[in-house]
Amino acid sequence: MLLQGIVSGLLAGGLYAMVALGMALIFGVMRVINVAHGTLLMLGAYTTFWLFSLYGINPFLSLLISFPLIFLVGVILQRFFVYRVVNAPELSSLILTFGISIFISNMAMVAWTADYRSVEFLTGSFLLGAIALSKPRLVVFSFALVITCLAFLFLNLTKTGKAIRATSQQRDLAQVCGINVRQIDLITFGLASGLAGAGGSLLSVIFSVIPEMGQIYVFKSFLVIVLGGAGNYPGAFFGGLILGLAEGLASLFLSAQLSEVIAYILLVIILLVRPTGLFRGRV
Amino acid sequence: MKWLAWGTVLLVLAVLAIMPFFVSNYIVSFAIQIFMWIALAGSWNLISGLTGYVSFGHVAFFGTGAYTTAILVSKAEWHWLPASLMGSVTAPLLAFIIGYPCLRLKGPYFAIAMLGLNEVLRALVSYFEDFTGGGNGISLPPIAELPPVYYAMGGAALGVVVLTYRIITSRFGLRLISIREDELAAEAMGIDTARLKLYAFLLSAAFPGIVGGFFAWYSSHIEPIGTFPLLTTITMIIMCLFGGKGTVFGPALGAFLLSIFQEMVWARFLFIHQAIFGALIVAVVLLMPKGILGVLQERYRLPRTI
Amino acid sequence: MENILELRDVTKRFGGVTAVNRCSLGLAPGKIYGLIGPNGSGKTTLFNCITGLEACEEGQIRFRGERIDGLKPHQVTRRRIGRTFQVIRIFPELTALENLLVVTWLPFDGAQRRARELLELVTLDRLQDEYAGNLSYGQQKLLEFARVLMTDPDLVLLDEPAAGVNRTLLNELLQTIRNLRAQGKTIFIVEHDMKVIMDLSEKIFVLNYGEKIAEGPPEMIRTDERVIEAYFGRS
Repeated sequence: MLLQGIVSGLLAGGLYAMVALGMALIFGVMRVINVAHGTLLMLGAYTTFWLFSLYGINPFLSLLISFPLIFLVGVILQRFFVYRVVNAPELSSLILTFGISIFISNMAMVAWTADYRSVEFLTGSFLLGAIALSKPRLVVFSFALVITCLAFLFLNLTKTGKAIRATSQQRDLAQVCGINVRQIDLITFGLASGLAGAGGSLLSVIFSVIPEMGQIYVFKSFLVIVLGGAGNYPGAFFGGLILGLAEGLASLFLSAQLSEVIAYILLVIILLVRPTGLFRGRV
Repeated sequence: MKWLAWGTVLLVLAVLAIMPFFVSNYIVSFAIQIFMWIALAGSWNLISGLTGYVSFGHVAFFGTGAYTTAILVSKAEWHWLPASLMGSVTAPLLAFIIGYPCLRLKGPYFAIAMLGLNEVLRALVSYFEDFTGGGNGISLPPIAELPPVYYAMGGAALGVVVLTYRIITSRFGLRLISIREDELAAEAMGIDTARLKLYAFLLSAAFPGIVGGFFAWYSSHIEPIGTFPLLTTITMIIMCLFGGKGTVFGPALGAFLLSIFQEMVWARFLFIHQAIFGALIVAVVLLMPKGILGVLQERYRLPRTI
Repeated sequence: MENILELRDVTKRFGGVTAVNRCSLGLAPGKIYGLIGPNGSGKTTLFNCITGLEACEEGQIRFRGERIDGLKPHQVTRRRIGRTFQVIRIFPELTALENLLVVTWLPFDGAQRRARELLELVTLDRLQDEYAGNLSYGQQKLLEFARVLMTDPDLVLLDEPAAGVNRTLLNELLQTIRNLRAQGKTIFIVEHDMKVIMDLSEKIFVLNYGEKIAEGPPEMIRTDERVIEAYFGRS
């Protein structure tokens, strides 16, 4: 039973890690907390849903479409709205992205109604010893893992990736080193949005798709960032796993409803005790 | 000049005081709503406008007040007025529990913590079903007449405006603003920023608690979805921003104008309504971050006490 | 006479970088001290440790014999230590007068009077109702100076007071600093302008890579080999 909880938790954690990485990137590079991150996730989920229902496209294949699509949405948001508050006090960017998220999610509500949609693609589980591994969750986890690794490879090995990391560490310095920070902002926001969208696509296979589905992920992604240490991208990965684990264990010993409360209390405790995160990070 | 301003204010108050006896119930109800939003937007202003710490979960205090009153009235048979005033105890208590740890954090961390608060409270209310009636909510006896609620809400609205005025003209207010401007420098000036932020937060939670209680009495039925909706927070924020955050009359102005727009135009379609508010928030942040009064203040060099 | 400020083996690390390395020094009351060193030598970090903005990993900081390391910034200020910042920090949306009024512990009338006196002292009195954000760089610099004095500190830490300031203004500032010393205050200045530091200080400490490499009167420091090497490299 315990092992089951741990495994399920870790599987969920991988997805948290991927989505949180996106938010961490935006926060690191632009010092913007993207409250709209959840809506981007939701858009990815709906993309996969419609591609599946209307054209029968394999949801995992649809990642090839949803990632670039949401990437583009992110770039547009950055280019026309977010870039104007990058140097403003953090209050402005918070409220701005909040407004964007309200607008998008409600337009989604208008367009697609609040009905619960689902992508019935993969079901069932297979047994590994005493543990039942849910097939969809396992596949989702694998994809999330792969995508996250690709993202890390991008960040560490490519020129653009390094530029992103440089900018997130010292924006002014990056500028005088010849890095076009405006471009980096656009790419980062796009990349982060793509990651969120991919997260949404993967989630659609497991959970129901509704306009408000992304809301809770903003909070959880932030929690992951805090756990891993702000500005510490690999830390975000482990933070995601830890969150997944904590939730898995919580729903085992307490009710499922309270697992959200657990996440919240966890956040508050961490912020009090070790605001720089469990790993090394900048506050 | 000053006498003119005060005179107008007194005139408006006098008109409002006798209004219920001369107009239809529809207008009285509408006025009750406007008063409620003035109190809510004004309370949000106390923490977010003055200190710059964005509270995304402020509706939590409204809901706490509503549930406090509902439980006291239905289970302990209190009269609605003292029951509502108890909201000014329970809501700040919650504010203290949340605020004590969270306000020590920098702005963005606090904001996200508040964002999660909503969801958590909704989960808690569902979980403690017996006490709170769970998803079904609590029903209260229907109210017989509007004027008492009218005067109660009006009193709350007036209270918030007066409180804001007193704070902004005091050194306490000055220090809160200095926290917003540069928290590090404020600390270097010897200001205990953690404590001051907490005070502001507690004050900002009191009125939503009371108003939540009035609301519970007025609607005669409360349930988790209706009492902790994100829309309430959104509306509070946009009203305050639109009118002018950090000013005395800004939230009231925003509440007044947007309530009218809301009533005339959008209230029919809930989701378009919210979407428009979202777009409005974006527009205000990008184009008019100081709100109407803020813009006027700059243009005409009006004093901060407006 | 006991030192008003005493640092013992203060160490501050940022990850793998040791910004301040076992720094020990003592300031006797009522004198002007200078703190110099090449860029990155840890001067501002040292100030940050003293004023509580950073927590030092090791070592002790004593003010008037009492340990102050580990205190929060506002607590340090209340013990009568004031400091200015390398990059000016004032409250842009408050007026010049209000910038000074936010200080906690003076009763309101007394505070108003004192604030006006200080503004007069730094010749900003006619701008007292102007929003601080609208003032020029030099005026903001003066305002920050007044701000520090408002807290009535016995120890004043000045972080690059001469940066970006023209000659006339500079002379005014220097005179004010000398006046403060005459009033019995202790001044500790971080500066890059050698002339200013050599003129003002009675004793200078030199940091390099976080370590104190020299201390002594200006004439001695000027010719100290280690200092020259730190700034100019081996010849």
